[in-house]
Amino acid sequence: MIEIETLTKHFDEVLALDGLSLTAPDGQVTGLIGPNGAGKTTAFRIIYGLLVADTGIARVDGVDVAHDRMAAQRQLGVLPDVRGLYPRLTAREHIRYFGQLHGASGAELEADIDDLVERLGMTEFADRLTKGFSRGQELKVALGRALVHRPKNLILDEPTNGLDVMSSRAVRDLIGEMRAAGHCILLSSHIMSEVSALCDRLVVIANGRAVVEGTPDALRELAGADDLEEVFVRVLGDAAKKAEAAQ
Amino acid sequence: MNHQTANGWFTRFLTVLMKELRDHIRDRRSLTLALIYPMLGPVLVAGGLFISGKTLQGDFRAQYLTIAQVGIEYAPALKQYLEDNNILFVPAPDDKEDAVREGRLPVVLLIPESAKGQDHFTVELITNLGRVDNLKITARLTSTISEYNEVVAEQIARKAGLPKGYGSAIKMRRINVARDANIAVFFYNMMPPLMIFMIFLGGVHLAIDTTVGERERGSLEPLLLAPVERWVLLAAKAGAALAFTAVTTVVNLGAFRLFMAWAAASSEHLVAPPGWGVFALTLIVAAPLMAFAVALQMSVAVTSRSMKEAQIYLGLLPLVPALPGMVMVFAPMNPTDLTVAVPVLGQMLLINQLIAEQSMDPLHVVIATLSTTVSAVLIFLLAAKWFRREKMFVLG
Repeated sequence: MIEIETLTKHFDEVLALDGLSLTAPDGQVTGLIGPNGAGKTTAFRIIYGLLVADTGIARVDGVDVAHDRMAAQRQLGVLPDVRGLYPRLTAREHIRYFGQLHGASGAELEADIDDLVERLGMTEFADRLTKGFSRGQELKVALGRALVHRPKNLILDEPTNGLDVMSSRAVRDLIGEMRAAGHCILLSSHIMSEVSALCDRLVVIANGRAVVEGTPDALRELAGADDLEEVFVRVLGDAAKKAEAAQ
Repeated sequence: MNHQTANGWFTRFLTVLMKELRDHIRDRRSLTLALIYPMLGPVLVAGGLFISGKTLQGDFRAQYLTIAQVGIEYAPALKQYLEDNNILFVPAPDDKEDAVREGRLPVVLLIPESAKGQDHFTVELITNLGRVDNLKITARLTSTISEYNEVVAEQIARKAGLPKGYGSAIKMRRINVARDANIAVFFYNMMPPLMIFMIFLGGVHLAIDTTVGERERGSLEPLLLAPVERWVLLAAKAGAALAFTAVTTVVNLGAFRLFMAWAAASSEHLVAPPGWGVFALTLIVAAPLMAFAVALQMSVAVTSRSMKEAQIYLGLLPLVPALPGMVMVFAPMNPTDLTVAVPVLGQMLLINQLIAEQSMDPLHVVIATLSTTVSAVLIFLLAAKWFRREKMFVLG
């Protein structure tokens, strides 16, 4: 389970997070949605220990990230927005490297790598250097290295960004399998159809704070619209009006 | 159930180190810097030594010299004297000044028609002393003419009944204690600054690529998501840079020894370079310097905003220690307890001593090693502190 409580974060004069709180329970997919610059990536970076919050707490399976970053990271698998591969390593070497960094080794690690290569459909290119990989192939390698240590919690930042239909479907199927296996999944996406199909709960954030949260159906009812994209637009419009009125 | 085996920091250090080594062994730029660049200095120095050996071989005064001239027929006695001293003549071309300026002729001797039948006359030399290769020929011609001058002065004095030596009050005789071998030693002394330059260059590409380069490619953020201490990450990357620096230095020293020995063997007048044992000792003495160079490279790389910026700073860095070394080729400095305590300078002085085959004071070795190693550790700790900053790994 991932929990964050009243997180605030400044970058010089810019307030990126303004008291953001949310909970992503096990066995569910929680969607964090919001416009560009709303604070999604900053919140993720605090959860996985890259940034330190000014105030507030982020916990992964009860471990305070600021207090014990490495223990929290062992429980987390992350697909960051920036995939960033090493062009002179093969796909298999990427996954092995990250497995080793998480303390795995030997036959057990090799078996896990083979399993991931099979499940992610990487057989054809697993032993090729990643230089020149397509975005879909890059994403599969990034997913492989995020999953190799069998994390109980997953953070997926734009998991299908730039993928073709078949690859997107494969990723969605994988997320479904992980949810069924009881994993906690926190994802962000700008694709409303994907959010609608995958997420059990949604948290809409704007200007660094949560403006509304609930199941997709509950949000549709709240906004009085069937289309989730329309819900998103109305919720953000209301939030902007409230912010103006407050000023 | 995840793996969850919490290995020690050293295992994580080795994991990152091995990855960086594998990654950069596959990188043509890293390999070129480690294996090809270190050969260039030795090739240049050995080439210079080889040419010097060939130039200085034998007695230069015994060699025939052909000089372009105008009007030598007006001074037959001078002509005879110069020919007796192995200086022969050919007619100068019409464009004699251009020929000298452009380097087609080293010097042209001009004798006016008014010299005909005279004891006293003026000769002119068209020369271009901007070209080093002309100096030697011009110097031999002028000194031979000066000798002729003294002979004539002596004859005139004798005819006038004046005492011997009246025409030239002071006679000068040069006793040149320089041996051809000293030229070789001069070239050997060029090795330490070039070697130090390579030490500061060998790991540069790795230092940049594994820090600010990773950030630019977007691979640093995923790496920092792994449960690894930040200082361990940086230490492993520094370890890989150190390994490449060590390979660079070994190739550099080996090439210097091989090429210089080959060049020295081409002339019997050149002394051989120091033996392999001296070069092995040089490598050991230089070890703290390698650590210092890598620590400095890592600290510059982690504080640079982009790869380009890091390349500019680290491209200039090797000049800082190499320039004082070049000065020491011409103005040698003796090591003292104080000077060897200056990081980098201490190693430079000790390496100079080794290459000159002088004995080293063991205390100087201890002081220089401690001073440079402690400095390297302090600089690395500073780099590790900077590596933990949020600005280091967050793009945009």
